[in-house]
Amino acid sequence: METDEKELSPQESLVLIQTMISKTKGAVADDSFHFLLWGWLVFICCLSSYILKTIVHYPNHFYVWLLMPVGGVVSAVYGARQKKTRTVKSFLDESLDYLWIAIGCSFLVLIIVNILNAQSWQTAFTYYILLYAIGTFVSGSLLRFKPLIIGGLINFGLAAISARFSYDNQLLIGSLAILISYIIPGHLLRRKYQKQKL
Amino acid sequence: MFKELDPILHSQLRLAVMSLLIAVKEAEFTYIREKTNATAGNLSVQVQKLKEAGYIEVTKQFKDNYPQTTCKLTPHGIEAFEAYVKALQQYLQAGQS
Repeated sequence: METDEKELSPQESLVLIQTMISKTKGAVADDSFHFLLWGWLVFICCLSSYILKTIVHYPNHFYVWLLMPVGGVVSAVYGARQKKTRTVKSFLDESLDYLWIAIGCSFLVLIIVNILNAQSWQTAFTYYILLYAIGTFVSGSLLRFKPLIIGGLINFGLAAISARFSYDNQLLIGSLAILISYIIPGHLLRRKYQKQKL
Repeated sequence: MFKELDPILHSQLRLAVMSLLIAVKEAEFTYIREKTNATAGNLSVQVQKLKEAGYIEVTKQFKDNYPQTTCKLTPHGIEAFEAYVKALQQYLQAGQS
């Protein structure tokens, strides 16, 4: 675009507005890193916790969950770095940021509830899976990305079903839920963004 | 009776900047330059004019020792842009009838 001297006709003005707005369409940041980090981390923790508890009979099987705060630090550092390199922030990016902050807070609240009330461990994964469902369904709908929407919808069903199972089996349902809603869509999302960059 | 087109917005580069900013929450100077293909000097002048009109908010800060300029529409800028689009529509409708 050159100087501002050129006289615009109303028609040219409208075309210019449309062109510039359409240029911002690819402005959504690639969030696949967070899906893959949390997906694989929770998946590994669920399965190793199940193995340690039911097969090895290790009493402190829950130690594996100490990886969660590590994930939190990695996620925060990566997010801060990404923010530095980002040259544009869309309304969609902002909505997704607030959604995941709310989901993160909800996880913290649930963990505190579970620690304060020992009985609530029985339904812990029901609520965790419900939060995966909300996060991935809303993200998928905003990004118009079907694998996340489908993953979220399946997780709503898995959350309901999980209430019928013991905590041990809920660990297996949890790993299945995270595979469907985070890991598979996360890899597909990453591929989509990589294709867009080419 | 036609409303006069806002002279601040009725300029190619300033309108391009406003259209970009209406679609995103905020954008850095480098992003706007890349999308508009404008020279840094010309863009700087037009951004300053939009800022003086109160249509955009410009924040300057340092990021990794490099100056970074972020632009964002103000509520007044959004109103002006909407009024400009309405006025354009009036002109186009008049042209058709």
